[in-house]
Amino acid sequence: MKYFVHFRFTLLAALVTLLLPLLVGSGSLATEVLIFALAALGCNLLLGYTGLLSFGQGIFFGIGSYTTGLALLRLQAPLLPSLLLAMLIGAAVALLVGWFAIRQRGTYFVMLTLAFAQMFYFLAYTMKDLTGGDNGLLDVPRPNLSLFGHTMLATTSPWQYYSFVAIVFVLVFWLLQRVVDSVLGRTLLAVRDNETRAAAVGYDITLLKLTAFVISGAVTGLAGGLHAMMTGVAPLSNIEYHTSEAILIMTVIGGTGNLFASVLGASFYVLIGNWLSTLWPRWLMLLGFLLIGVSLYLHKGLFGVAQALLRKFGVRPAADIADTTSVKEQHP
Amino acid sequence: MSKPTPILSARHVSKRYGKFTAVNDISLDILPGTVHSVIGPNGAGKTTLFHTLTGSTAISAGSILVEGEEVAHLPGYKRVRKGLARSFQITSLFPNLSVRENLRLAAQGTRPLQALNPWRRPERLRAACDSAEQLLVRLNLQAVAERLAAELSHGQQRRLEVGMAMAGQPKVIFLDEPTSGMGIDDIGDMKRLIHSLRDTTTVLLIEHNMDIVMDISDQITVMQQGQILAQGKPAEIRSDERVRRAYLGSMITGGKA
Amino acid sequence: MNIYLLQVANGIGIGMLYFLLAVGLSIVFGLLRFVNFAHGAFFLLGAYLCFQCGEMGLNFWWSLLLAPLLVGLFAWLVERFVLRHVYALPHHFHILFTVGLALVLQEAVIAFWGPLGNNISPPDLLQGVVMAGGFVYPIYRLFVIAVTAVMALLLWWVLEGTRLGAIVRAGSESTEMVSLLGLNINRIFSLVFALGAATAGLAGALAAPIRGVDPFMGVEALGIAFVVVVIGGLGSFSGALIGGILVGIVQSVMSTVWSEGAHLMIYIAMAAVMLLRPNGLLGRAS
Repeated sequence: MKYFVHFRFTLLAALVTLLLPLLVGSGSLATEVLIFALAALGCNLLLGYTGLLSFGQGIFFGIGSYTTGLALLRLQAPLLPSLLLAMLIGAAVALLVGWFAIRQRGTYFVMLTLAFAQMFYFLAYTMKDLTGGDNGLLDVPRPNLSLFGHTMLATTSPWQYYSFVAIVFVLVFWLLQRVVDSVLGRTLLAVRDNETRAAAVGYDITLLKLTAFVISGAVTGLAGGLHAMMTGVAPLSNIEYHTSEAILIMTVIGGTGNLFASVLGASFYVLIGNWLSTLWPRWLMLLGFLLIGVSLYLHKGLFGVAQALLRKFGVRPAADIADTTSVKEQHP
Repeated sequence: MSKPTPILSARHVSKRYGKFTAVNDISLDILPGTVHSVIGPNGAGKTTLFHTLTGSTAISAGSILVEGEEVAHLPGYKRVRKGLARSFQITSLFPNLSVRENLRLAAQGTRPLQALNPWRRPERLRAACDSAEQLLVRLNLQAVAERLAAELSHGQQRRLEVGMAMAGQPKVIFLDEPTSGMGIDDIGDMKRLIHSLRDTTTVLLIEHNMDIVMDISDQITVMQQGQILAQGKPAEIRSDERVRRAYLGSMITGGKA
Repeated sequence: MNIYLLQVANGIGIGMLYFLLAVGLSIVFGLLRFVNFAHGAFFLLGAYLCFQCGEMGLNFWWSLLLAPLLVGLFAWLVERFVLRHVYALPHHFHILFTVGLALVLQEAVIAFWGPLGNNISPPDLLQGVVMAGGFVYPIYRLFVIAVTAVMALLLWWVLEGTRLGAIVRAGSESTEMVSLLGLNINRIFSLVFALGAATAGLAGALAAPIRGVDPFMGVEALGIAFVVVVIGGLGSFSGALIGGILVGIVQSVMSTVWSEGAHLMIYIAMAAVMLLRPNGLLGRAS
């Protein structure tokens, strides 16, 4: 029973992957939900667990897209290595960006992540030979999952690809949940809560933040790679500021005290966005207002709302150690 | 009989902020197993001295030796492994984590590489967990072990603050105004706690409460405007004319003879 | 050689504009301890208001006056009625709030003026070029340099020479002190925030005839403003000036050497400065 409690959120995540096909008509849309859920998880690891507000997640997402695209197009690499490469490069770039950005704290750090996001956008724009510039990489193939020549899992149809992505998603969620429940995860919380104190008791803050960055970069890069295969394109827009912004908004709206909250946030953003955009092209304005509202009143996001509702019905959700009653800010 | 080797030595330590010298050429020897208090009026540079010794701030000049080993070039977090630990003047805890978790993290800090493990659950690292349990008893915080640090009373928080410094079983513990803002009852508890520290650790103490300082100290260093005004045993300090003048007399006449 | 000199001169022109863009951000941070991520959106608003004034038949001089005033007024209202409640929140939510605001403004701009860009021509008086000994220089750019130079002097005078400026500088050190002195710190906050927004709006209005207007110029402006304050140092007036001019020159010179890489080089320059001087060229250590 104790294991059940430990794994409850991973099981919930798995449940979501089973529910999505029932609720959502399009395989691509369902896959998009999971892909951005992964990206939001990467963002949440930095924000909710390490206290780092990053406007640069689009960098890793875009780089992941380009890496997988290039691996598939130029190297004719199979499915898994293409994705693994995206994770590796995503992690490497995160290490680089993180190393620069971490030299500053508080708001200065946040500004730097935004500046770096712009930098990588222009970098991708100029390196036309690699990235296709404005056009992006086109006709990115989507190989089946095969081992030694035998097809293990077809990915041709949208729902077939969805099942592959679902497996990857649950696996990554489980791994991330283990990370946040581990000593490393707990130590990251200490960094989030009070950097100075964490250093004073002996922790290398820079190393810890970089570790969080690297993991985040890997997960976000993976999401980018999956995205490129889903759409068949690795576009410039994946590395653009607005992708960073969207990932951040999903994470914040979902709530930062819990990994599963990111799944909620991404689902909300992608599904509501998909629906609203048909009604009103300027639906992002509502999202802007929602962000304002969350900043003022709903700090714990959708997950917090869900918790409050559960409590009203007498269910007392087991407290997650990352849950904060008062988010302690970092000093600038 | 030869002079015992100091466990901590500050040699010509200075800290400058631009043109302003907060700590000016301070040399100190701290003997092991003693309680060494640093007192002085506000702005004397006591906390800054602590910052430089523990590594919270980089030193401008001088050298710091822990058991003969130079540590001045080490950043603060590395000095923890050399046996230094501190509490802060303004309470600095992990507000959203439980009291037990605060202590566990502090205990784990002496083996920070273990803390990078992304797989093992914290409960499995028994050494740190056990330290935390023992500390809870010693600090008399068992009743609130599961409460978030932010929810504690001020007195409890100050105790936890000291506990965070004790957690790593340091060689030298720096306590910066541990009783600040505390009520009479809490002060008594704190005094007993500091007393109990003498058996296992060397204590450096910044305090304004002269009752405690005179009672508990083996050595007192009086600072003024970044420099050492006087140094010696409590009785000597109490009768020192310069110190009286610096403190306007009344403050240091408290405490037992 | 001539062409490089021309580009440097050009760079100073752009740079002054970047200074004007960034100085508001810097001053607001200095006093309010608050980095306004909607700053780029104020730039955007200023540019579009200028465009709209032109569309409505007002001459350019009116646009140049109205745009920053309206942006300033809008900012003042936002600060007075909404932003004030945000200060007490943890830092992350300051940022997220202003990001939400920026998004709302951007979408509003698209709603009113469409997703594609537009062009504005400078007024007849300022069109054309000036020839001086082999140099060909657009008159409008000279005008921009003149206006931004005047604004720089004006701001400098306000900060150093007036009571308000002294209060702002004092408030940067300690807001409690200022309120203890009996001054209404809230009103000062609103005023400074509005001023910061107005300078961004003016920069936008001035920039419009040069680069046209498009709904995404706000994001680009925010990025550049950040680069300028990172290079120059956050909270520093002269830092914004030096940073702005430096960025302008880098962009200008690069646009002849490697035009596609001009924007990229701005950010690489920022990374270089960060490596050598983490607090910027003139910033104070945090």
